[in-house]
Amino acid sequence: MCAQATQRVEARAPAAEAKSYVEQYYDALRDGRFLAHKCRKCGRYTFPPTTCCEHCGSWDFEAAYLSGRGMLLYASHGIAPPPHPRFAGIAPYVYGQIMLDEGVAVQAIVRGVEATPQALRAIFERGPLPVNACVMSMTDLPVLAFELA
Amino acid sequence: MRNRLSEKVAIAGVGCTRFGNMLEAPELKGKSIQEIAADAAREALEDAHITAQDIDAVYVGNAMVHSSQTPATQTQIAKWIGAQFKAGMHFEAQCSTTNVGAALAAQAIASGVYDRVLVIGVETTRTRVKGYSPYEREAIPAQQTWLWTDMAVNQAYSVPQGYDIFSTYNGLLALGYCRKYGISVDDFDRGMFELCRTRRLHGSMNPKANEQETLEQVATRYGFDDAWEFWRSPENPFCAWPSRVRSLVTTADGASAMVLARAGDAKAMNPQPVELKGFGICHSDLPWYTDDPTFWKFDKIATDQAFAMAGITAADLDYVHTHDCSHISGICTAEMMGYLEAGKGLQAACEGRLRFDGDRPMSTHGGRHAFGHAWAASAGSDTYEAVLQMRGKAGKRQMPKRPEIAAIHTHGYAMVGTTIVLGAM
Ligand SMILES: [Zn+2]
Repeated sequence: MCAQATQRVEARAPAAEAKSYVEQYYDALRDGRFLAHKCRKCGRYTFPPTTCCEHCGSWDFEAAYLSGRGMLLYASHGIAPPPHPRFAGIAPYVYGQIMLDEGVAVQAIVRGVEATPQALRAIFERGPLPVNACVMSMTDLPVLAFELA
Repeated sequence: MRNRLSEKVAIAGVGCTRFGNMLEAPELKGKSIQEIAADAAREALEDAHITAQDIDAVYVGNAMVHSSQTPATQTQIAKWIGAQFKAGMHFEAQCSTTNVGAALAAQAIASGVYDRVLVIGVETTRTRVKGYSPYEREAIPAQQTWLWTDMAVNQAYSVPQGYDIFSTYNGLLALGYCRKYGISVDDFDRGMFELCRTRRLHGSMNPKANEQETLEQVATRYGFDDAWEFWRSPENPFCAWPSRVRSLVTTADGASAMVLARAGDAKAMNPQPVELKGFGICHSDLPWYTDDPTFWKFDKIATDQAFAMAGITAADLDYVHTHDCSHISGICTAEMMGYLEAGKGLQAACEGRLRFDGDRPMSTHGGRHAFGHAWAASAGSDTYEAVLQMRGKAGKRQMPKRPEIAAIHTHGYAMVGTTIVLGAM
């Protein structure tokens, strides 16, 4: 984990089984787990989870947790201040293209790399590089991020 | 999918306003959003030698209702263009809106339901309604525009977790392009410079463009004798390394319009109609690409469908615009289409081949960077330019040989890959 959640978001009624997949994803992320849906028909992952297999359209799936291991293919950065106020405190931040071991393409914030041309050029010249998923605790939401392995 | 129109459909009239800031640009200043929509509609209707009384339906596109504050837009525009008591709709496909509107109009006409359809796109990305005033406008802070614009992007997972348009659409793509084709980051930078120079040259020759200064003129204004030196200076910072801010869209307010009809009817209205030979539309949520950032599957599907419907191949293309909110993305799309050789797009830019007078002309209006970007109106501005070029009426930026076949590709954020094929009649 690149940071620990300091507090849980207040539990809401109704009970856990009534939670949206979106909330289940962020709840799992808060616990350091990367929730996907695995299709019972084609065997592929939909990550993050939705109501349907995004590959074959099947509605028949089960919850599965991804390893969080993968390869960072490319890393760039955004601007400051950023479009979304949630990230004002960390902008400009590094944002990368990652292929997870499970074959899922993910784009996410990359921690531990400076958003400078020099640092990003070094990453580009050395890449692709192995990374591990981690969780950034923003004030209101846990967020998926990656760190160099 | 049968992927064919049961009758030939043509564009009988086109219109487009100046793209710019409604608080500053003389052609827009002091007008309301209703009036800029009417300006574009009137030009298109007069080009087709009809009034809105002669059309059956009005499709009005507007993507960012947050700034326009006019949902059910077609009903709110109707009185301003003489189109009361017609059919129609408000619709949006973000930055593909107007050309998706042309495709919807073609479907309605070829099916025999309507004879003539007016498509309008209107958007204000620089200004918004001020307070509750019916006519005063104020500037939108840039972060606000991007936050509203990003509402078209995965709201469950991507935007909440730091989705970044600048990396996703520029930096990561640029790096993928460099690695795939063995291009150094420095050569990439030079290619981006030349591409910007070309687009700004086109903008400087277009009185409707948002940015009408050449890159050399911008450099001089900042005190640089050498535009390449200016390009690499802190005055042109990286927005997403290795991409710089002047390889990006510039935002604008503006409107565009077109009149569509059966080909024979269009010919009766206008001696120079342009056939809408084909279209393809294909959408995708993120991610737009996987291990190869230069290949966007939905663009390939949309383009293949458009070319198949039109019965053309890449070899037939005389003029192309690809969506160039991000200049490197526009190059990748043109290479995917087969208009430019794979991995050679930047070299073509350096050789001047993408200029209006080059052998692979692209985006002669100036593209999203110089002509500017008014989301729902922009695809119509691209089609407007292609029609002008095909008619030989593009003024100083007229291609030496009028194009017979043109392809217009747009990215409706995020994403509606849309390609249309136009043919001279
Ligand atoms: Zn499946």
